[in-house]
Amino acid sequence: MTKYIVRRLLGAIPVLFGLSIVLFAFIHLIPGDPATAILGQHATAQRIAEMREYLGLDDPLPVQYVDYLAGLLQGDFGRSFINNQPVLGEFLRRFPATVELTIAAMIFAVGVGIPLGRFAARYAQRWPDGAVTVLSLLGISIPVFVLGLTLQYIFAVQLKVLPASSRIDARLQLDLQTNFVLIDAWLHAGWTFDEKVDAFVDGVRHLVLPAIALGSIPLAIITRITRASVIEVANEDYVRTARAKGLTERRIDGRHIMRNAWLPVVTVIGLQVGGLLAGAVITETVFAWNGVGRWIVDAIGNRDYFVVQSTILIFALIFLMVNLIVDIAYAFLNPRIRYA
Amino acid sequence: MASGTVAVVRVAPRASRGLWGDAWRRLLRNRPALLGFVFIGVFVGTAVFAPLLAPHDPGALYPPPPDASSGATGPYPPRPEHLMGQDLQGRDEFTRVVYGARISLLVGLGSVIFGVIIGGFVGAIAGAAGGRADNVLMRVVDVLLAIPGILLAIGIVAWLDRGLPQITIAVAVTNAPIFARLLRGGLLAIRESDYVLAARSVGVPTRRLLLRHMLPNSLTPIIVAATLALATAIIDVAGLGFLGLGPPDPRTPEWGTMLTDSTKFLRAAPYLIFFPGLAIVISAVGFNLLGDGLRESLDPRLKK
Amino acid sequence: MRRTRFGVLLVAAGLLVGACTTGASPTPAATPAPTGAATPAPTTAPEETPKAGGTLIVALPGDISRTDSALIDDSNSSYVMNQVMEGLVGLKPGSASEVIPVLSESWTISEDALTYTFKLRTGVKFHDGTDFNADAVKFNYDRWLNIPDAYSKLEYTYYLDVALRPVVDSVTVNSPTEVAIKLTAPNSAFLTTQTLVPFFISSPAALELGKASDPDFANNTYAQGGAGAMTGTGPFKFKEWVPGDHVTLERNADYWDATHAAYLDGIVFRVFPDSTSTLNALQAGEIDFTQTLSPIDGKTVEGDATLQAIDRGGSCNLFNLSINQTHKPFDNLKIRQAVAYAVNKQSIIDTFYAGQAVVADNWMPPGFFSYKALNLPTYDPEKAKALIAESGVTDLSFDFWYPSDVARPYMPDPKGEFEAILRDLEAVGFKPNPKTATWRPDYLSAEAGGDYPLWLIGWTCDWAGPDNFLSTAFFGYRERSDNTFGPNEEFGYKNDAMWQAMDNALKTNSLDKAKEYWQQAQDFLAADMPSVPMLSSKPPAAAQLYVKGFVPNSTLTELFNTVWLADH
Repeated sequence: MTKYIVRRLLGAIPVLFGLSIVLFAFIHLIPGDPATAILGQHATAQRIAEMREYLGLDDPLPVQYVDYLAGLLQGDFGRSFINNQPVLGEFLRRFPATVELTIAAMIFAVGVGIPLGRFAARYAQRWPDGAVTVLSLLGISIPVFVLGLTLQYIFAVQLKVLPASSRIDARLQLDLQTNFVLIDAWLHAGWTFDEKVDAFVDGVRHLVLPAIALGSIPLAIITRITRASVIEVANEDYVRTARAKGLTERRIDGRHIMRNAWLPVVTVIGLQVGGLLAGAVITETVFAWNGVGRWIVDAIGNRDYFVVQSTILIFALIFLMVNLIVDIAYAFLNPRIRYA
Repeated sequence: MASGTVAVVRVAPRASRGLWGDAWRRLLRNRPALLGFVFIGVFVGTAVFAPLLAPHDPGALYPPPPDASSGATGPYPPRPEHLMGQDLQGRDEFTRVVYGARISLLVGLGSVIFGVIIGGFVGAIAGAAGGRADNVLMRVVDVLLAIPGILLAIGIVAWLDRGLPQITIAVAVTNAPIFARLLRGGLLAIRESDYVLAARSVGVPTRRLLLRHMLPNSLTPIIVAATLALATAIIDVAGLGFLGLGPPDPRTPEWGTMLTDSTKFLRAAPYLIFFPGLAIVISAVGFNLLGDGLRESLDPRLKK
Repeated sequence: MRRTRFGVLLVAAGLLVGACTTGASPTPAATPAPTGAATPAPTTAPEETPKAGGTLIVALPGDISRTDSALIDDSNSSYVMNQVMEGLVGLKPGSASEVIPVLSESWTISEDALTYTFKLRTGVKFHDGTDFNADAVKFNYDRWLNIPDAYSKLEYTYYLDVALRPVVDSVTVNSPTEVAIKLTAPNSAFLTTQTLVPFFISSPAALELGKASDPDFANNTYAQGGAGAMTGTGPFKFKEWVPGDHVTLERNADYWDATHAAYLDGIVFRVFPDSTSTLNALQAGEIDFTQTLSPIDGKTVEGDATLQAIDRGGSCNLFNLSINQTHKPFDNLKIRQAVAYAVNKQSIIDTFYAGQAVVADNWMPPGFFSYKALNLPTYDPEKAKALIAESGVTDLSFDFWYPSDVARPYMPDPKGEFEAILRDLEAVGFKPNPKTATWRPDYLSAEAGGDYPLWLIGWTCDWAGPDNFLSTAFFGYRERSDNTFGPNEEFGYKNDAMWQAMDNALKTNSLDKAKEYWQQAQDFLAADMPSVPMLSSKPPAAAQLYVKGFVPNSTLTELFNTVWLADH
């Protein structure tokens, strides 16, 4: 097992390395000069030349790439051209917002999707199954921004029961320490327990709509896969045997069906995490969510080279790691699989 | 998900109408697929017959309702002359939604066709050549798949400048790796299959083998994936528009762009968001239904 | 204060000779208060008694850039720092251009207009407890004059580079309460520019503590929210800056001007990058006040009985349908005039500004010093068609550009406004080709380089004077990219007589003469139609009903020490 993990980790290196080259080449291909982005409208040619030199943009591209890579290996992700702040610092400040949203969306998708899938499987080919199928069809067919705006309209504008945007009520003046609102609520110095609870609840209220919007596609897919794999497993011989033995349905469900039906579900959950990071780009735009999603879109427009290169690289790293974790989880769930 | 459906479909010995005929009959018996056809029919019909269906000119301004107070500006709510209301400038929303179907169909279809061509080309080379070429190409595909699709598309639009052709290419490139993988996987499976080995052993040239035997048999998963990809392509195109990367001419009635321009009217004029949103959903539902139906009917082993 | 736009200010050339006033009375130098920009009424009826206490949550459209007032060039930073920092002089609350003493008590200007001698207030302490005195003033001016080159390269020193370093020669301490500032050349805009936040006085001790002049900016904590940051003399003190999120200020209990000490315990400035989410937060009661809203959201607030919309009275911006006449067909005067007749400005104001804007009849907002009604072309498509016919130009196609990803105070909906103008142009026979680009870097660098024939842009004032619009923003001759001095490449508008008039206006020492020269320049512009000025907008603020005592200002120089919160 350890050997397998090591091999997979080593296997990720060429992909990440290749990705760093592709990203570097790609972002430098896009026309537009970051020096003029910094200097603005009335910069003279001389000023632009000075700025390019200062930023190291005049070096040959391979030299720039090696410099960047050397920095990366020492944990230096470069500085943003727009505000001259280190990319890593800004990333770490924004990333928790995206992670918090992603986790909430995943909890929603898994927490609702698996029971829904099992429910549909139990009533396969009857109307509850049909209803769930229609729901999951809608889930993959509604764009995140359409669903997000719809939820905002219903719950914030019309019913006024949930906030339409941002992460927490500005009036609470929550101190950001970890940048996870739901954690910081408990860490805030000088608050009573009740105040902490209030802040936490407020954070959760702000999370609900964006999490549903972002989680809708994974929800639909997890529901489908759960349904399909439960139906498939339920027809296996050993389940029939168990039933013939007179085991209770509850026990069959827990011991025999779900244990085996989990396999494809876990795979899909892993695949969806990568999709969530991409979905966050649009969700964060709809809900004015201060995460990495919108930041990176702006950075591409601004030719903020280091921001784009580094954040996408980190995204990809997370994507690869999640896939690895999924494969390991797979092995644990299925004793028949042995990685060597 | 789609890669799980890579299937070696062999023609049954007594098939009366062949693979496609059987699939077609199964498709016609598949109620969700038929419903998908209906939705797609509405979508494509709207796109094709837009000038006949739409009562107005998508770019023109129309006067406010007679009871509007003087000096009032749009948006105006739906009424008989303007079924989906009027936007800020007084344009007819219904007409714009109808003409928007043309944009979505053209760009969506174009991007999927283009994506299948690029992806298919790469996948065919990798699958047919195998070995080192396969390895290199698939690592490139891995790299592309590791970049979140929407960011890749944004980057391509930034690179190529604004416009519908550019959006088509951007969405195509983000879809291409999926097709590459599918085709390669299918080809590899078939390469090792008995009938190819048999054909090879009697000396059928590689080129002929690839074109006459291997490709057609790897096509079914591609057809299914392409149909489903049409749904995501329509959503991705609208997503780019929503992020402000739509066509440069503001008169172009692109659904995602119409949505993003109307978010500021969420309170005052929700109908400006509802109708373009509904149009996107209907088209996407149509292709998703048909895609699922196709999958089931093209792969006889998949039973409900 | 300004959008991030880097111009060669004519002030920088040190061309303006002030009226040689000698005396203690603070007189605005060359730019009397715009009459059109009437002082709006404060939000408090006089009979109400202010109540102390409470924290005000304010929405800002963007984050501050740094915590060193000398190193900023954006309106968000200056909006926050106006509460914390003070200069020798400032703008009178509610006035766009009337200069009043703040940390000085009075000043005199020498006969040769080269030396400004300020008598300083006594008993003023910085927030770190150190004394404000002549040495502190000199320390600040000397620091600005010798700011590390690295900071200029980072482009943090726009205002220092254009309005201070070429203008100020030296600073002398005459006594602990008197300081003399010697200029390199007479410059009557000097006092006006010293009301800008970048020239506010920081505590020398805090500057030292925060390594504010360290050649390696990474070590400079003064500018990056760390040790020493933002230490001034104002009614509020800096508490913390969480970049991208908020800036917190707290009440300065020891404010030197006890009668104007703040009512509020503190202010939190929060970043709300778009108008819709700002309005969401305002309606949900999550914020008390927003510095700005889009006109459409402003209209929503007006219709909401639980909120107040705040009209800033005058305007300090101009939306400009810009032309570069080195591109065909705009080298032809009749074509430029035809464009001016083709566009329906009033309709654009009605549709996109909820009426909160005035049609422009000049290249600066109404009410400015020397402003003259120029009777510029108004909407007349027939006249436009006739002019096109007269011009003899047959190829009427050209690229027409708008920025894809911004809203500006003068241009809340670039795409929609572009479309309206596009339609007007096509209606008279032009063949514009719609184009768009990202604001930064593509749009700004291309339009500045003169690449666009016709495009949308505007100007938000640095200060309320004719020079800031006519010359700085638009048509003043300047250092060009090939290092020659000449017409602004952005517009490609060459008229030496026009420039001579502006140059004379900047150099004269008589107000009457200055007015005459500025008006000459305006007449040249009206005759040459180098661009089509569209409108001046009045971006609204909005607040909860219980927010009282706010004094709005079209230049956004708004002080929160008078603001208080009624029971709610």
